[in-house]
Amino acid sequence: MRNTTTGWLLIAPTLFILFVTGLLPFLYVLVVGFFDWNTFAQNPEPQFSGVNNFRALVFDAAFLKSLWLTFKFTAFVLVSQLVIGFFLAKMLLRDMPLKGLFRTIHTLPLMIAPIAVGATWRLMTVPGLGPIPHWMQQWFDVKYILSRFPDQAFATVVAMDIWHWTPLVTLTLMAGLSNLPEEPLEQARIDGASEWRIFWDITLPFLKPVVLTTVFIRLMDALRTVDEVWMLTGGGPGAETRFIGLHIWRVVFPKTDYGYGSAMSLITLYLTIVMCWLLYVAMTGMKEKTR
Amino acid sequence: MAQKTGFLPIKTNTFDRIFISVVLFVAISLLWMRFLEPFAPLWVSTLLSVVLGQWIIRKG
Repeated sequence: MRNTTTGWLLIAPTLFILFVTGLLPFLYVLVVGFFDWNTFAQNPEPQFSGVNNFRALVFDAAFLKSLWLTFKFTAFVLVSQLVIGFFLAKMLLRDMPLKGLFRTIHTLPLMIAPIAVGATWRLMTVPGLGPIPHWMQQWFDVKYILSRFPDQAFATVVAMDIWHWTPLVTLTLMAGLSNLPEEPLEQARIDGASEWRIFWDITLPFLKPVVLTTVFIRLMDALRTVDEVWMLTGGGPGAETRFIGLHIWRVVFPKTDYGYGSAMSLITLYLTIVMCWLLYVAMTGMKEKTR
Repeated sequence: MAQKTGFLPIKTNTFDRIFISVVLFVAISLLWMRFLEPFAPLWVSTLLSVVLGQWIIRKG
């Protein structure tokens, strides 16, 4: 009994911090989501509006478009980062000269703050100043103007995110790959299994927990991307790279529509949780039904 | 929490089934507001969701 009390006392500070910084703000947003609260409105006081914010949201074309763009962005970066990260992890695990140096250089983007990454990429993509528009013109005869062409802006945002976050995927996959048991791999090679067969039937099942964790982290990060994109394109041209985080920021801060912004945040959180849960159920065999 | 197998295609415990019920409640309400509210009021969807949730928690 005494041990239990001591245990609770020891974790009490952590629980308190989690409650104040995690649960309390969530509950606040949950409540505000059901209020009409705009400090610039005729009545700046919060007024209970039931599900009106959510009713408006399901018809809000700008919100639905930003959701669609966010999912498109997430799908592109997640798949690209997993594939590139896997190949880089395999490469960096091989014995080669200057392996340590390559690993260090490869990890450098992770150490840069997202806002600085956005600023750097913006400098690289400014026409007449950055090297990317110059190279695109010289090598491919392509006019590269982020503020004019939506596809270029979207592709650049995706490329920036891949550049910034693939090292994280590589590091986690390297940890997973270096802990693979040798025996099944050797047995499969002796039995004459092809590399693809070994990857699909041995490597991938052993890597599943690592891949799952990595996908979770990157999925949640990609869904709430704001600062890099804000710095690089500002959500433009038009609203073509205005992902959900940026859209919520615009509603909550410049427009001070706290109720509507909270409702958007709640829907985004809901979709994130549902996606993660579906992914978890799909990727873990432990939930399969045994009849 | 004890896991059990009901009509859901996965093994679930009570928390899982409550979670699935809440997720479905939100999804049904949002879809109802988007597509069906001109034909039937929102409380119908709430009623349906509560019945569905009960069923999932008990038999899921």
